[in-house]
Amino acid sequence: MDLSLYMPEWLVTHGPAFLIVLPLLMAAITAVFPGRKLAWWTTTFVTLILVLSAVALAQFELANGMDVYQMGGWAPPHGISLKIDALSAPVLVLISAMALVTMIYAMPATLAEIEPKKRAPYYAAFLLCIAGLLGMVVTEDAFNVFVFLEVSSISTYVLVALGSSRDRRALVSAYNYLILGSIGATFFVIGIGFLYMETGTLNMADMARILTELNGGSRVSMVAFGFIIVGLGLKLAMFPLHTWLPGAYAYAPTQVTAFLASTATKAALYLLLRFTFFIFSPDFAYVDAVLVFLIFGLGIVGMIFASLQAIFQTDARRMLAYSSVGQVGYMLLGIGIATTASLSAAYLHLINHAVIKGGLFLALGAMWYRFGITRVDDFRGLSKTMPWTMGAFTLCGFSLIGVPFTAGFVSKVALAQSAAAGGYWWAVGFIMVSSILAVIYVGRVLMVAYFRSPPEIDGKPCVKNEAPLRMLVPMWAMALLSIAVGMNIFGASDILVGASERAASLLTGTTFPGTGG
Amino acid sequence: MIDLMNINPGLWIILAGLICALFPKTDGTHYIRKVFLIAAPIFAGWLIFQMHSVEPEYIRGVLNFGGIELTTLRIDGLSLVWGYLFCLAGLINGIYGLHEKCRITDSSALIYTGAAVAGVLAGDMITLFIFWELTAISSVFLVWKGGEHAYAAGLRYLAIHVFSGVLLLAGAVMVAQSRGGDFTFNFIGLNTPGGWLMMIAMGIKCGFPLLHNWMQDAYPKASITGTVILASFTTKFAIYALARGFEGVDILIWIGAIMTCFPVFFAVVENDLRRVLAYSLNNQLGFMVCGIGIGGALAMNGVVGQVFVHVIFKGLLFMSIGAVMYRTGTAKASELGGLFRSMPFTAVLCLIGAGSIAAFPLLAAFVTKAMILAAALEEHLWVPFAMMLFASAGVMEHSGIKVPHFTFFAHDSGRRVKEAPWNMLVAMSLAGLLCIVLAWPWGGYELLYSLMPFEMEAYKPYTWDHVVFQLQLLFAAIFAFTLLKRFGVYPAERRAEIIDSDWLYRRLGLNVALWTSAMWDRLNFQVNRLTKRSLGQVGQKLYQMFSPAGTMSEAAPSGLPAVLVAGTLLVTLIVIYVLGT
Amino acid sequence: MSKDSANPEVQEHAAEDIHPAAKPFLFLVGSTFKRNFLWIPLVGILITTILGVMHPLKHPAPWDVIPGSWAVFGFLAYSFIVFMARPLFKLLSRDESYYGEGGLPDPYVSAEGHSETNPETSDKSGDKS
Repeated sequence: MDLSLYMPEWLVTHGPAFLIVLPLLMAAITAVFPGRKLAWWTTTFVTLILVLSAVALAQFELANGMDVYQMGGWAPPHGISLKIDALSAPVLVLISAMALVTMIYAMPATLAEIEPKKRAPYYAAFLLCIAGLLGMVVTEDAFNVFVFLEVSSISTYVLVALGSSRDRRALVSAYNYLILGSIGATFFVIGIGFLYMETGTLNMADMARILTELNGGSRVSMVAFGFIIVGLGLKLAMFPLHTWLPGAYAYAPTQVTAFLASTATKAALYLLLRFTFFIFSPDFAYVDAVLVFLIFGLGIVGMIFASLQAIFQTDARRMLAYSSVGQVGYMLLGIGIATTASLSAAYLHLINHAVIKGGLFLALGAMWYRFGITRVDDFRGLSKTMPWTMGAFTLCGFSLIGVPFTAGFVSKVALAQSAAAGGYWWAVGFIMVSSILAVIYVGRVLMVAYFRSPPEIDGKPCVKNEAPLRMLVPMWAMALLSIAVGMNIFGASDILVGASERAASLLTGTTFPGTGG
Repeated sequence: MIDLMNINPGLWIILAGLICALFPKTDGTHYIRKVFLIAAPIFAGWLIFQMHSVEPEYIRGVLNFGGIELTTLRIDGLSLVWGYLFCLAGLINGIYGLHEKCRITDSSALIYTGAAVAGVLAGDMITLFIFWELTAISSVFLVWKGGEHAYAAGLRYLAIHVFSGVLLLAGAVMVAQSRGGDFTFNFIGLNTPGGWLMMIAMGIKCGFPLLHNWMQDAYPKASITGTVILASFTTKFAIYALARGFEGVDILIWIGAIMTCFPVFFAVVENDLRRVLAYSLNNQLGFMVCGIGIGGALAMNGVVGQVFVHVIFKGLLFMSIGAVMYRTGTAKASELGGLFRSMPFTAVLCLIGAGSIAAFPLLAAFVTKAMILAAALEEHLWVPFAMMLFASAGVMEHSGIKVPHFTFFAHDSGRRVKEAPWNMLVAMSLAGLLCIVLAWPWGGYELLYSLMPFEMEAYKPYTWDHVVFQLQLLFAAIFAFTLLKRFGVYPAERRAEIIDSDWLYRRLGLNVALWTSAMWDRLNFQVNRLTKRSLGQVGQKLYQMFSPAGTMSEAAPSGLPAVLVAGTLLVTLIVIYVLGT
Repeated sequence: MSKDSANPEVQEHAAEDIHPAAKPFLFLVGSTFKRNFLWIPLVGILITTILGVMHPLKHPAPWDVIPGSWAVFGFLAYSFIVFMARPLFKLLSRDESYYGEGGLPDPYVSAEGHSETNPETSDKSGDKS
């Protein structure tokens, strides 16, 4: 179904701006709403519109391609421009779709987690976060990226801190995140500054052109690149810079965790791709060195170490958070190899992992909602007390491991194949080892949930207490989606693989061998 | 809608297992499970027969899956033998377990059997991998059913087997890569690193030296029926994969020869008879691996025949020791003895099994083992031949003499128990009968020959020289046993844990891990103390310099991440400057 | 064995007397048979060695020039394995609760009556160290 045919003309023309302006505007309005119901309805409605328009724009882009959108009619080098292309369109769809999915879940969850007074501002902050993320992805202006990065980050700090009514540790985590996030943003903006010094422009396309003319530029652009990599590395939780992530994921409100886990680091990864391959280019010796030695190396180290750390966590949400760091390692590995196939695999894993982790965190959230549990030891007998939730968790967990016929398998095999084809056949071994570690940390939860009997309360075994439908629907949507991708039902796998191959060929400037599916 | 002829027969056994698993667990329902347990292997065997009679090279169930072509069903000469064999073994095991009322054992036995059948009938490496893992996951429950002391062994078993599957998949991907995306499972060879990975994966599953520990670890700890079932499938599945993928790979000759010899020494000192049998199993697998390494029609037919009779006589031995254990509660040689007074039928059947494994004329292995040995001689592989001959004497020692002697004869332990239950006797008799039939000189072993996949001039086992020299070896072994026993040189059985190379991870590795973790904790503590102290000093200075109110130094964020950020930047810049220019 | 009569697990499988089918074969463990059993394999070796000279191997190994070579080989191999048992046992044997994975000693009632085979005591020592 091609949604773009049903959309009004102006949406196609002004779509890129609409995606940012709508949530920004509605955030301001939602913040002053009196009732939480109205705020929820508005936010959900806004995310629904965002999903529809993002899908429509992506489809339009796929069919016709899109021009650069000029804000206020100012031409690129001086004005701010926005652009939707094969690289950004899927990420836009992903962000808006995850926002909608978690919003459906949020209705019962926020009731339990957020104080009544703070609910409307909570939704406003959520909208701001969406606006920031969408803006980061859609903008063509390097400084604008920083602005939107800060918009999303600051609203995220607020969202994480709002978890304090559930767990006071959220405050410390939010504070840590704030400090490190600010350091990251500062590094990033320093990098942009250096880059401006070198090229005299802030427009990405211009920067790329000038850097190519200068053949990589002087030391200034080298330093700029270093700062940008570290700044973005912090945001995307590259291995040694991930320390903010477990706390933030573990103590944020459950909806926020699910949303952040599936979008925030992904948007930062998108920026890494954009900066490394568009503005800079792997043709520059220093970019190539960073890709091979740093991104690839840290990817592998992260894959193993973070997975090991995940095994030893007692809190299930921290475990998944460390697993996220490990999974980012996979994507970095794909990026580091920097062939079209590996980039495509990394991009595919980015999307698949967002779906899987979203589903897993939603399931964990539902468990907390019903029983107030987050520790793995407390999951005893959950297969009996919450069979449907545990079912979704199991499916997503299998997908995270990479069991055949799940989304995780598709992208891991693609990654392994591209690594072998790229000459890094030993990296296949690391992928396998890390998958075994995933078997252990997911299996640990499943063993407790399936093979131990439910705890007894006052001498009676705990009775069945399934999550409400509004929680089950989103998490099962994610679980089934991951299965659909794994088994190529409704061509789900073909669509995603096609999209990531397009994105990858855009990045390397080649046509993908055998593009079709 | 569903075409029976297009679906891998193993899947029906798996389906039966799933039905059993979901069947309500009330009194009396175990009869229905038992019906499935008997009927499913028969049905699958019948299906394989039907399919094979359509055409000799039966390939169906081709699925295209994300650009990978899967062949989910392939029945040719090689896989046919294993298909029949596993169905037969499933049937015998089903009869043997009739007295048990355990839902987990029944359903996991069915799923495990089905996965093994489906695995050998798989035509591509991805399907093979899936069932490879499924055999591991479904069978671990049989280990865990052995009781509390089997839990850790089960975990190790699972971990090792899942790891083997992962290696298999990694190897398969790499092999397919080198062939341009062709995942068909045929000869692989060792030309690619992927081939090595796949061979190691198979080596783990069929107990290559130093990769064998899971077998002697898990099998003796499983439940009584569990051990019998476990011993039938996993390793033989791996032998199938080796025979398919690595026929005539020279290194396997030596691996196999070593594999026949080393378990002999462990078997002679081991007290737990089920563990003795596990070592003996490992030694038998050595013959097969060696045969695969030699390659050629004679050796390969020998391997195929050896696998077929091996499952039957090894099952018979495990079943008879299992029956003894069922009645007496133990399988330790030091605790048993003189049991033929109580269990005469079991004793006779055990002797048939022992005679078969030792390759007495008229009993099963006499025909097939000779084929492998003859192939080694024809190739003039003297040293491997001598090693296998030595191992044959060893087989006679531990399986042929030690197991029946210390269980049923030797000194009387004073245990007076009932004869084995009827269903066990039926299952054992069936196996015992097959042991005799498949080596019967007048028309019996030709039955076995009719299954053998490779064209060749029929090997004649009952020649004067073969019978006579085999008897020389066996008589000499018995003579040595009686002589050594008479002079008291033969060591008495004593209760002990015999350590094998798994000591390296069960003891040494564990202790190293514990020590490292303890040291890590200490280090962390010290580092924390030091950083606190030094940060505290810095903080005090900052306090003195900047903030008389003293609030700033208190609120400093955890410093480590910030240091990490700075460090990463430094490393990045070094990479850029040093490597990038 | 009076102490195990209370254990229903043992009781269920216990039998009163020697199985009737086994009674005719009790001579197998009689001292006469045991003493003279040695001759059976010895005669077997002699006969097969003579037959072996008459029907030599079709594919002889280099060492098959000795008459009765397989008998010699079998005797030496078997004796070697048995003689290795003692040093190997010394080298490799540990206490049954060595790995301490719980639930060990197998039989409910030991025929040896060693104290360490008592389930209660060794369960404790067999627990995680």
